[in-house]
Amino acid sequence: MAHDNIEIADGVDHQVAMVMDLNKCIGCQTCTVACKTLWTEREGTEYMYWNNVETRPGKGYPRNWEQKGGGWESEEHTQRTPGEIPSSEDYGEAWEFDHEGILKEGEDKKLAPEGGKPEWGPNWDEDQGAGEHPNSYYFYLPRICNHCTHPSCVEACPRQAVYKREEDGVVLVDQDRCRGYRYCVEGCPYKKIYYNAVSKNSEKCVFCYPRIEGEGPDDEVHPPACADQCVTQLRLVGYLDDTDGPIYKLVEQYEVALPLHPEYQTTPNVYYIPPFAPPQHSRDGETVDAERIPRSYLEQLFGDRVNDALETIERERQKVERGGYSELMEILQDTNPAEQYRLEVFDDV
Amino acid sequence: MTDRSTWTFVALAALLVVVAGAMPLLADARPAYEIPSPTVEDDLDGTDASGWEDVPAAEVPLESAPSGLPNAEMVSTRSVEVQAARSDGEVYLRMQWQDEEASESASAPQAFADAVAVQIPADPGVQPAIAMGSQSNLVNVWYWNADTGTEELLAGGQGSTTEFEDASVQTWAEHTGSGEDGTWTVVFNRPVDPAGDNRTAITGGEDLDIAFGVWDGGNAERSGHKAVSEWYYLPLAGDSGGPPFESILWAIAGIAIVAVVVVTIQGIRRVRTGGGE
Ligand code: SF4
Ligand code: SF4
Repeated sequence: MAHDNIEIADGVDHQVAMVMDLNKCIGCQTCTVACKTLWTEREGTEYMYWNNVETRPGKGYPRNWEQKGGGWESEEHTQRTPGEIPSSEDYGEAWEFDHEGILKEGEDKKLAPEGGKPEWGPNWDEDQGAGEHPNSYYFYLPRICNHCTHPSCVEACPRQAVYKREEDGVVLVDQDRCRGYRYCVEGCPYKKIYYNAVSKNSEKCVFCYPRIEGEGPDDEVHPPACADQCVTQLRLVGYLDDTDGPIYKLVEQYEVALPLHPEYQTTPNVYYIPPFAPPQHSRDGETVDAERIPRSYLEQLFGDRVNDALETIERERQKVERGGYSELMEILQDTNPAEQYRLEVFDDV
Repeated sequence: MTDRSTWTFVALAALLVVVAGAMPLLADARPAYEIPSPTVEDDLDGTDASGWEDVPAAEVPLESAPSGLPNAEMVSTRSVEVQAARSDGEVYLRMQWQDEEASESASAPQAFADAVAVQIPADPGVQPAIAMGSQSNLVNVWYWNADTGTEELLAGGQGSTTEFEDASVQTWAEHTGSGEDGTWTVVFNRPVDPAGDNRTAITGGEDLDIAFGVWDGGNAERSGHKAVSEWYYLPLAGDSGGPPFESILWAIAGIAIVAVVVVTIQGIRRVRTGGGE
């Protein structure tokens, strides 16, 4: 196998992976809507965002998800960390609007959520961030299921209804086996499995498997909708063990693409290029030599390795500034879809 | 005292001891794990159908099932009162347990519904593993959930439940009172011998092993996180023939009574014939 030096789950042939460059995210939620339109417009899925984009620092979606437990105690993957199921309030209920009444029946009221003033919802704290003027800061963090190598959601299910697909490591919920017990919901530390109170089953991001398999009406392979629709094309999609591909290079070779919260020990397969921000300014607008996004905050999200990653990127950037060549900078700026989405490399194997 | 009268006195005393020892057991003649299952003519269709008044109840203690699931040891329900009855080709079970508040919907991420289940062996001849049987020894599960209703399931080990296609089990359920007095009453009913593979035939001739489980939705109990009983049984092995334990007790009592009568008569006779002092 090509992945001798890469950690891939037992019994999985190839592992799908995604790299998101946080420096390119403008928080437009086009990915969120792409996924919502494609997968979660059914009854019972109204409150679900398999793809969400949250402002950081911020409470995220569902609210305070990082404090809700789940994942593994250690890299031995023997003991799971207990987790909790977020409340409806933490997710934010899907608001109802009386379009009918106002637009068709001419009712004299404001177009606002029915049933009282909402107090929380997905993306409620958008652009709030942290820091004091003139050095306030924030960035956007798009999140999907990480299709983890050690998925604690799979382990949590007493019915083996959640499983990791052999061909590409996509983590799926078998809707026939699921009985809505929600141990997966509490077991996932990223809170990326959702309970559908209408079907009484749990659901999650499917990595758009029909699209990557070319099972759509046009029989063509397509990247996942959230990646495909992304306005700034910040996502790379392919296989972690495709050693010629950009994902392998960013994750394994340059080590500049990092998993979110590696301490949860699920070994995610969605990776992030950490965000850079302009340096801080003095009160009279002079640039000062201090990082705007506190390094400690990035360490909280991406672990200690974020320091090396940022350093590597900085070094390569300077190389280019001096007129030199950097493969890393080429990859990070590449807009060639054949490289950005390498989903057919193992097809004829 | 003559030798004879001494012998008589000793024998009498010994027998009285035996009888006295057996009395408390005789007073509650039902063996520990038996759920009486009388045949009832009156209506049993419903949580307070009139027929239930004459059916004796067994108090079945419950404990947390050893599932290994998070919080598995924390269960709310300590016991369930079970009544069983047969009526014209039908089997009925009525179960009642204390639950302060009914949890009847699973329509929010954190909401779980109350539920109850009855487990019987698919093949009444062999007692399966208590935790949902095994692949080689299946169980039938009659399941009722306050949110989703009734299911008739087949299982061969934990996490293996599958639904029978056309459920032959029907239920009636009601929650009454609140707080300390809050009570769920659920009645299960099934024909004794419905068609279909692996459906337990409850045709009598042998006792039927039976176990019970209760889930408190308000305590997020679901799956293997539940309060369960040990194996109990319905005494169906023939109307007069009970299980050996019961028969032995009755035999001891019988012998004791006969012996007391015989010895007493002998003693009286001897007194009359002047054998005494
Ligand atoms: S992110 Fe959560 S739901 Fe997705 S595979 Fe990992 S543990 Fe499972
Ligand atoms: S991969 Fe597909 S299903 Fe998953 S978040 Fe993106 S659009 Fe949604």
